[in-house]
Amino acid sequence: MAINPAIDVATEAPTAEPGSRWVSTLLTFCRRRPLGAIGAGIVVIMLLVAAFAPWLAPYDPVAVDFGAMLSPPGPKHWLGTDAFGRDVLSRLIYGSRTALLVGFGAALLGATAGAVLGVGSAYFGGKIDLYLQRLMDVLLCFPLIILALAIVAIMGNNLSNLILAITIPMIPRCALVIRSSALSIREMPYVDAARASGFTHRRIILRHMLPNVMAPYLIMLTAFLGQAILLEASLSFLGLGVQEPTAAWGLMLRGAAVEFAETAPWMAIFPGVAISLSVFAFNLFGDSLRDALDPKLRTL
Amino acid sequence: MARYIVKRFLLMIPTMIGVAALIFFMMRVVPGDIVELRMSGESGFASKEQIALERARFGLDRPLWRQFVEWMWGLARLDFGRSMWTGASIGSEIQLRFLLSLELAVLATSVAVLLAIPLGVIAALKQDTWVDYAVRIFSIAGIATPSFWLGIVLILGLLIIFKWLPPMVYTPPWVNPWQNLAQLIWPALAVGYRYSAVATRMTRSAMLEVLREDYIRTARAKGLWEKLILTRHALKNAMLPVLTVVGLEFAFLMGGLVVTEQVFNLNGLGLLFVQSVAHRDYTLTQALVLLVAAIFIIVNFLMDLMYAWLDPRIRY
Repeated sequence: MAINPAIDVATEAPTAEPGSRWVSTLLTFCRRRPLGAIGAGIVVIMLLVAAFAPWLAPYDPVAVDFGAMLSPPGPKHWLGTDAFGRDVLSRLIYGSRTALLVGFGAALLGATAGAVLGVGSAYFGGKIDLYLQRLMDVLLCFPLIILALAIVAIMGNNLSNLILAITIPMIPRCALVIRSSALSIREMPYVDAARASGFTHRRIILRHMLPNVMAPYLIMLTAFLGQAILLEASLSFLGLGVQEPTAAWGLMLRGAAVEFAETAPWMAIFPGVAISLSVFAFNLFGDSLRDALDPKLRTL
Repeated sequence: MARYIVKRFLLMIPTMIGVAALIFFMMRVVPGDIVELRMSGESGFASKEQIALERARFGLDRPLWRQFVEWMWGLARLDFGRSMWTGASIGSEIQLRFLLSLELAVLATSVAVLLAIPLGVIAALKQDTWVDYAVRIFSIAGIATPSFWLGIVLILGLLIIFKWLPPMVYTPPWVNPWQNLAQLIWPALAVGYRYSAVATRMTRSAMLEVLREDYIRTARAKGLWEKLILTRHALKNAMLPVLTVVGLEFAFLMGGLVVTEQVFNLNGLGLLFVQSVAHRDYTLTQALVLLVAAIFIIVNFLMDLMYAWLDPRIRY
């Protein structure tokens, strides 16, 4: 369903602005990495759905309708309704906003903080590097979900705390990867030259080193996008993430969806499909991006 | 080599102490403590004196640094204390759940390895053909599917198609291995799929790298059978990074299955952890985090040793 429009995007691209460098890069990417193009297409569709949610959703996502409780998919409610009679399709559409907000928020924050720490650690070296690395080791030992759980427990659960809870476990994972690429960049002649010219540490880190770790940064960023959406779904499912009645995919799987799974399986199936499809798309795109940018780097 | 092992071993100690300190202070920052939670749960209100008395009983009234030093001293003697909530010793609280989590982790690992290695090897051999694409889509889908949702779908499928539900009560394998497997194979499949996806991708990329090595070309040039080249020359060398991934995921499974355990109604370490955080059961949460971190650190240590042992190019 969502795959065909992706191909349309790819074929329509050249007519938009002939001769532009961006378009030709895009075209090459699509031709060489068809899987990545499909992923990117699904991501674009998701962004559009999230942006135009009020116009696309047939019902109010939080409107309770006790007359239509647990109605199966049909012409009135395409994907059925939940235990409160809320339209599943509308909640899925609005849920994409939560997923994308948390996904992009946590991935951007986590990857950026990790990149700054990684580059700083590599640039300064010595004691700073040693202590930062030990701290990262300690954080890495905490399983992702346990760290997020503890942070939500400490800070209370609203959306910004949820983003923070997902961000913190990502920082050491990103810092580790970025540091190893930054270590080799530190030895480059242009960094020596910058240092000899008397530039400040800040300028060297921000202007000379950070732009050169862009490839691993982008790769970590796209990998984190999918992970953040998955983690948000898990936390919401546990009741530690987004709270009712906000529409969120993980939350839709909680409680009644499991209780009534036998009689009303649509409640349990569609939100899961939405989570899988979106993470799938981000991973497909991220994978191809990694292959294109840095074939030697292995991320999971 | 011996010096490297000793040094690497000693490096584990500061990391463990760091983990201990972090979780100790993190728990103290969480609002509310066990006394407040229990008192408000039992009678609705309690006098200030009662609360103070209870706090003193748990030693929560002493300065933080003293509590920490005492806890560390206990750890040094391998005395984890008692659960603040149930009063039972930490060892007995963890024991049975640890067994369940361990068994599930072993089963999921078996599922993952059985799927991942053949799929990864085939994908690498047929790089950029439809087989490769199919395997890659299968494995990316595995990473994208939340295992707790896959668990729900599995239960649903069993219920609707076979009108059968896996047993809900844990039976230890030495009592009734069949019953035990009937319960645990489903969560193992749900988790194993995601896990195998990670391992498949690693197998594929490691195989691709190895297949381009000179010694593979040499082996082909001297007319060795393809099968022998694959098993003895390529696969053996590609297995190292795969082993790392499998090891790390295994460590993760021991403590990270919070959500899947909930779906399958399993009373494992993940559930115990969530409960202990909800109860503000400091001693139990701290012990659990230390346990999970210790598993992770030890697996990492063993992986490093294995690398040094299996790959003769690495010498320290």
